[in-house]
Amino acid sequence: MSNNDILDMYIYETNTLLEQLESIVLDAEKENTFSQDNVNEIFRIMHTIKGSSAMMEFDTLARVSHRIEDMFFLIREGTMSVVKDEDRPALFDIMLHSVDYFREEMEKVEAEQPLNEDVDSFLGNINSLIAKIKGEEIPAEPASKAAPAPAAEAAPTAPAPAQTTEGSAEFPYGLRVFFDEGCGMENLRAFMLVTSVQGFCADTDFTYQPAGVESDSALSEVVIEHGFLLQFRSEADRARAVPIVMTAGSVHSYEEQNYVPAPPPAAEPAPAAHEAAPAAQKAAAAPAAPSGGAQPHQGQGQKESLISVGLSKLDQLSAIVGEIVITEAMVTGSPDLKGLHLDAFSKSARQLRKLTDELQDVSMSLRMIPVSNTFQKMNRIVRDMCKKLNKQVKLTLVGEDTEVDKTIVDSIGDPIMHMVRNSMDHGIEENVQDRIDAGKDPVGEILLSAQDTGSEVIIQISDDGAGVNDEAVLAKAIRNGIASPDIEYSHKEILNFLMAPGFSTNAQVTEFSGRGVGMDVVKSSVESLGGSVSITSEQGKGMTTIMRIPLTMAIMDGMEVSVGNSIFTIPINNIRSSIKTTEAAILHDSVNGEMVKMLDGYYPVIRAKDFYNLPSGAEKIEEGILMWLESGDCSYCLFVDELLGEQQIVVKPLPAYVNNFDIKNYGITGCSILGDGNISIILDAGDLYKATRG
Amino acid sequence: MSSENVLFQVEEDEVEKAVPEDEGAGSRKHLIFTVDNLKIGIDAEQVVEILNVYTATYLPMMPNYILGIYNMRGQIIPIMDIRLRLGKPPAEEGLLIVIDYNNNQLGIQVDSVDLMLDIPVESIVPIPSQSAQKLVSGMCTLPDGSGTMLVLDCEQLIAHGYGD
Repeated sequence: MSNNDILDMYIYETNTLLEQLESIVLDAEKENTFSQDNVNEIFRIMHTIKGSSAMMEFDTLARVSHRIEDMFFLIREGTMSVVKDEDRPALFDIMLHSVDYFREEMEKVEAEQPLNEDVDSFLGNINSLIAKIKGEEIPAEPASKAAPAPAAEAAPTAPAPAQTTEGSAEFPYGLRVFFDEGCGMENLRAFMLVTSVQGFCADTDFTYQPAGVESDSALSEVVIEHGFLLQFRSEADRARAVPIVMTAGSVHSYEEQNYVPAPPPAAEPAPAAHEAAPAAQKAAAAPAAPSGGAQPHQGQGQKESLISVGLSKLDQLSAIVGEIVITEAMVTGSPDLKGLHLDAFSKSARQLRKLTDELQDVSMSLRMIPVSNTFQKMNRIVRDMCKKLNKQVKLTLVGEDTEVDKTIVDSIGDPIMHMVRNSMDHGIEENVQDRIDAGKDPVGEILLSAQDTGSEVIIQISDDGAGVNDEAVLAKAIRNGIASPDIEYSHKEILNFLMAPGFSTNAQVTEFSGRGVGMDVVKSSVESLGGSVSITSEQGKGMTTIMRIPLTMAIMDGMEVSVGNSIFTIPINNIRSSIKTTEAAILHDSVNGEMVKMLDGYYPVIRAKDFYNLPSGAEKIEEGILMWLESGDCSYCLFVDELLGEQQIVVKPLPAYVNNFDIKNYGITGCSILGDGNISIILDAGDLYKATRG
Repeated sequence: MSSENVLFQVEEDEVEKAVPEDEGAGSRKHLIFTVDNLKIGIDAEQVVEILNVYTATYLPMMPNYILGIYNMRGQIIPIMDIRLRLGKPPAEEGLLIVIDYNNNQLGIQVDSVDLMLDIPVESIVPIPSQSAQKLVSGMCTLPDGSGTMLVLDCEQLIAHGYGD
């Protein structure tokens, strides 16, 4: 194994563990407790991350995971009851933050960037929580009590004042402020805070670090790196400073810290908290530290039943299997065999047929993975956004176990995330009262569903929010020059503006959505998979986005039909029936269109030869056959020459070059290789009909 | 001369930008084929194979120069008649050169395939003015003195069709 392989394995393994961890924490948060199993699992995950990070010499990662492991060691020993109810939200927050932290670091590892070395404040948070779990209040008693309630809510990064050895006994109440990344002029921004604080606090009652920010712009770097530290003589002054900091521009986050005299030898906060622990707990904690060998991996007992295989190998396999299926048909259907009675051959051929079918099923299932992972990730997004936007929304998942080709799963993650964010941000009402007034459940709902129809996957994201305001959208579209003020647009056309590049209805750009890149990116990424996006909305009732994505490597039951020299395949589930009829049964409408009367009504007739400008094919209705097709809400008859028979076919996508010519819009979705090596063209009944309507 | 007009339609305001790549790479093998008495060369690296027996399955709604698609051992390859692509009259029959450019495969139907030649990279010079068709990235005099060869711009050939 080369070094790179080890690194790849490390990243892969860690990411898998993080995913596991995140879903455990999210589930546990709903219950507001960790079950003992969860605790064990988290302990094991952290232990593994710690071990492998140390092995890879990512010391900061090892340190953080070590502390979390310590924390869960305590919880494991004392069960969840050691964590007081009021500390639990902080615990969940810390766990989710650590997931984010590890993920970020993994990305850096992957990109070969240097890791974030400055984890002290994060470790500080963990340590203070550990201290609380241990039930030991810090000598500076007011520490936790004093934390002003609004601050704890507003700044989830600082659930409780962190302990620090920085500062002095004279000014024990610290407030560390971090500015938005890249906001510029950090030193002056810091000084503006100082002047605001001077408004209510005498110069002698507070101090700040680094000093001299008003004149030395080089200190910006220091402020960016370590934040700007305000230190107060009294706690009340600090409490007054918090709202000022909160409302000041470009402040990213802040945290309160209380000065604790440093124990003589320890510089690092982590061991400091450790030393302070009462002897009993210390004894308990001791085995946790060297647990590298002492604690066996719980997962090692059961043999690993999964292996990871490179995607390119799977692609190769499916390509070869596809070839085998075709070759098998070529061999058994060989024209050389015509008229021969070969009992033994037929018997073996049947056996071969059965085996290739099985082989094909297996090879297809290899690439299929459930969408549940992608869907579960949305739980986290909804949770975070609920907190940030102060909305109450529940996410309902339907059809998570729908299995889809791996490439599709990979590429629908971002579009789904965009849509969920859109729904959270723009869809669900700002004000709970608005929902109650409209007679809706105060808790909003976002429904995410997946459905496999056999030929395509339908992913639906709907919310029960305010829906799309047509006038606002139109006004915006006109302002952006997408729409013309002189034209009347239909509801449907207005909705389509949402997917135009550079469109965003939100008045303000927010953290989550509203950059105006969302919807058109969704559209283009779904279209690159050969799928389509449609939006429906009813004002006041909500909005639904439907993504339809074809299964890339699909096997399909199709009916082969011929038109002149061309062979087309129509999916069996679109065919209602086929009818031989006569010229006399064909009715004409005023614009030269043709119709035919079937059972309960009149249906348009589309002649494949004329529509596709084919060089040859039947002209007279008597010479051909009408295929009654249905797809979605369209129903019509396609006139073709002859039915060739039903067959299971392997769908092959058309070459990218050909797709550039937009033939998908004319109902041509793919092709398939026939037993004799010829190609049949697969038609999409719905798109074909739409194309004829212009 | 008239036959070359398509390739050399002058667009005065466009500045020449086709520069042969890989300066100093010595020489590169080129496959030279004939289309309506024009000698056109293509970097041999991009040639997958040459077929003389093939059938194109007609694909509706495509420009006339796309003759259809062809099943080459399970791979579906579009077939382009380069004569029609260059606005020349179609020929009775031809050969198919299958090229692969950035994993895009395309079959080009040409009149005949002449030979494979080492062409020194520095002998390929930009064409005097940007052609409207943009299908040629350079030209060079053949070392054996048998004439001039145009270098086919596979990128343009394959990229064309995007957005039209």
